[in-house]
Amino acid sequence: MTALIVIGAGPSGLGVATTLARETGDTVCLVDRIPVPGGEAGWDDPQVRAYVADAEAAGVQLLLGHMAVRWAAGVLLLLGPGVARTEKARHLFFAGGCRPATAADLRLAGERPAGVLPATVAEHLLTSGVGLWHRPLLIGDGPWASSIGEHIRRTGARVLSLNGQGDWADETICHDGAVEVLGRDRVRGVRLLDGPGSVPRDVDCDAIILCAGAIPNRNVDGALTESDEGVTFVQPTAPRSVRGRFEHGQSAAREWIRSMEGNQ
Amino acid sequence: MRSSAQHPTESFDVVVIGGGVMGTSVAARLSATNVRVCLVEAENDLCEGASKGNAGNAISFYGEPGTEETELLNASNLVWEELCGRLGVPYRRIGAVMVATTAEEVERLAEVHDQVLACGVRARMLTTAQVHAAEPLVTDACLAGMELPDEGLIDPMRLTIGYGALAVANGVELVLGQPVIGVEHDEHGSVVITAQRRIRARYVVNAAGLHSDRISALAAGEELRNWPRRGQYAILDRAFGHRMSRIVFSTATPKTKGINVMPTTHGSVLLGPTAHDDFDGDDSRATDAETVQHVIEQAARLVPATAGAYVIKTFAANRPASEERHRIRFDRLVPNLLHVHSRSAGISMSPMLGERVLQVLNGAGLDATERANPVVRLPSVPSLRGCARPEELVAANPLYGQVVCACENVSAAEIEAALTSHVPATSVDGVRKRTGAGYGRCQGSLCMAGVSFMTALRTGTGPADVRQTSRGTVGA
Repeated sequence: MTALIVIGAGPSGLGVATTLARETGDTVCLVDRIPVPGGEAGWDDPQVRAYVADAEAAGVQLLLGHMAVRWAAGVLLLLGPGVARTEKARHLFFAGGCRPATAADLRLAGERPAGVLPATVAEHLLTSGVGLWHRPLLIGDGPWASSIGEHIRRTGARVLSLNGQGDWADETICHDGAVEVLGRDRVRGVRLLDGPGSVPRDVDCDAIILCAGAIPNRNVDGALTESDEGVTFVQPTAPRSVRGRFEHGQSAAREWIRSMEGNQ
Repeated sequence: MRSSAQHPTESFDVVVIGGGVMGTSVAARLSATNVRVCLVEAENDLCEGASKGNAGNAISFYGEPGTEETELLNASNLVWEELCGRLGVPYRRIGAVMVATTAEEVERLAEVHDQVLACGVRARMLTTAQVHAAEPLVTDACLAGMELPDEGLIDPMRLTIGYGALAVANGVELVLGQPVIGVEHDEHGSVVITAQRRIRARYVVNAAGLHSDRISALAAGEELRNWPRRGQYAILDRAFGHRMSRIVFSTATPKTKGINVMPTTHGSVLLGPTAHDDFDGDDSRATDAETVQHVIEQAARLVPATAGAYVIKTFAANRPASEERHRIRFDRLVPNLLHVHSRSAGISMSPMLGERVLQVLNGAGLDATERANPVVRLPSVPSLRGCARPEELVAANPLYGQVVCACENVSAAEIEAALTSHVPATSVDGVRKRTGAGYGRCQGSLCMAGVSFMTALRTGTGPADVRQTSRGTVGA
């Protein structure tokens, strides 16, 4: 029996791994850098728990708390606290999720003060329960925007949205021109520019949370682009539901299985 | 509240003002002697000025033949491998090609070639074919080129902090977060005054970079003039960087400023810099969309493949421009005030700068003698990234297996070392400067929460008041 490895034990990865385990004769190893499964959906989501139980029942081997670092010549290097191991596989499935657009992705110009954070970071910081900002500006309408927006509102802050949709913000601004960050030591606002001749509009804020887009993570050397050998990327940007992503993972696994059968 | 006059006065032989590459390299060299040194820095960390925004190019050639600047560059160029080995700083002697794409540039390139040779620096003219043999990604529009084999890649932040750490290891008193607000003189020497300290010394070294003119004025010295020369840059993902073999310089002519394509020790590639003299400026590091676009377009004329590469970050940095290119001399009005300044070549002359400054100070009566066994090497903190045998690192320290920054493969072992070293990081950005965590393509999306947490633990702060940068907190 040869092995297949799935990186990322979130809903997509669970979908891929369970399907591969059930529908091929290979051993399937499901890896995640976090010590619990579920990815961004969280380990205690009831649907995630059910999917994990399914995966284990199907014989998927979970290897949690291990970060996949390098993929080369059919060997994956995995690291964890006190652990360095390699796993051989005939194919790798990268289901490492997505991240928000960076400031560079958004072409944000202006100063570089403290207080500009990716949504994923804001999410973690908010779990501390401490109110961190009074007037944050959330840029974009990615998967994190509404949950972060709602969470921050519950801390009593006034939440601004730039190009978000939905009613989770106290104020929503639509702007498709250039955006410059204002503030030297700490962010104090953004300047919205419409082009030469127009009057720029300044919007005050005390934090900028980058919530736009859903850009696939790529952080395993040797498995960075579609042209890398022996890798299939499974990183849905839509649908956003746990079940939707699980089913996307299942489809991706089946498509790969079919493509392999086609080559025999 | 105690006024400045009531703070006790501490006494040193030399106080160095400025924690950039020049101040720290001077402090490090002096620290190997019996001289008592204090290094004062206005910001909360070393390397927050021009040295932080440096492109990371240890240049072989910069200026005029027969100058002290050229002498220091030449002497420094020889010792990079040895120095960086001792300090644990990434360095690669990768070499550069300077590329001419117009007739005017070809003419200018020949002039530059003569000047380089006159400075005693190695250079060789190249045909188009030879340029492409050295660096295949150079444009087909290349008409001629010049090889500069002794150009290298350096990590300017780790270099600066490395000098500082060596100085501290040898007993230099490091004072951070204390802008100088006054300099008084009396028959015993001078007193450098900050909000909380009065630092007496026989000699004052002004290595304050962009703020050198202000320090000179406070000390009743010469009227110097510094202003920010702002350069904007774009950083390309390491997935592009590993395709490059050389630093690629454009041939600057009087009409065009050189936008270069420069690999870094991180594996990324820097495009830039522009050069905007902001005469009344105050060290703003703002970028603008138009200039960034210009940088990207100009770079693509030199290396067309950069046009399709992923931009992970843009930034602006200020060189400390002044009318003098280079200053290592005592002030004409204040005999114990030594100005140490370079407009653009501070990093590249830093390995031998301290030696020169020591000579100058001894010539003026410092009388330093070498110590018997100074610390010359920093404890080694190997990088997980690029390590051939990570299992050995993990076996020696389990925290090497805990990868915190996924994009740059920075482990908890390295981050902990950065938070507990001689000049520890006290902000998230400080961790980035020392380890590269958060530097990569996701710009902290996967790791910044973890790094903030580790930094908060070590600095005794919480999620709201942990410092993100030298000057600003994560929370409002």
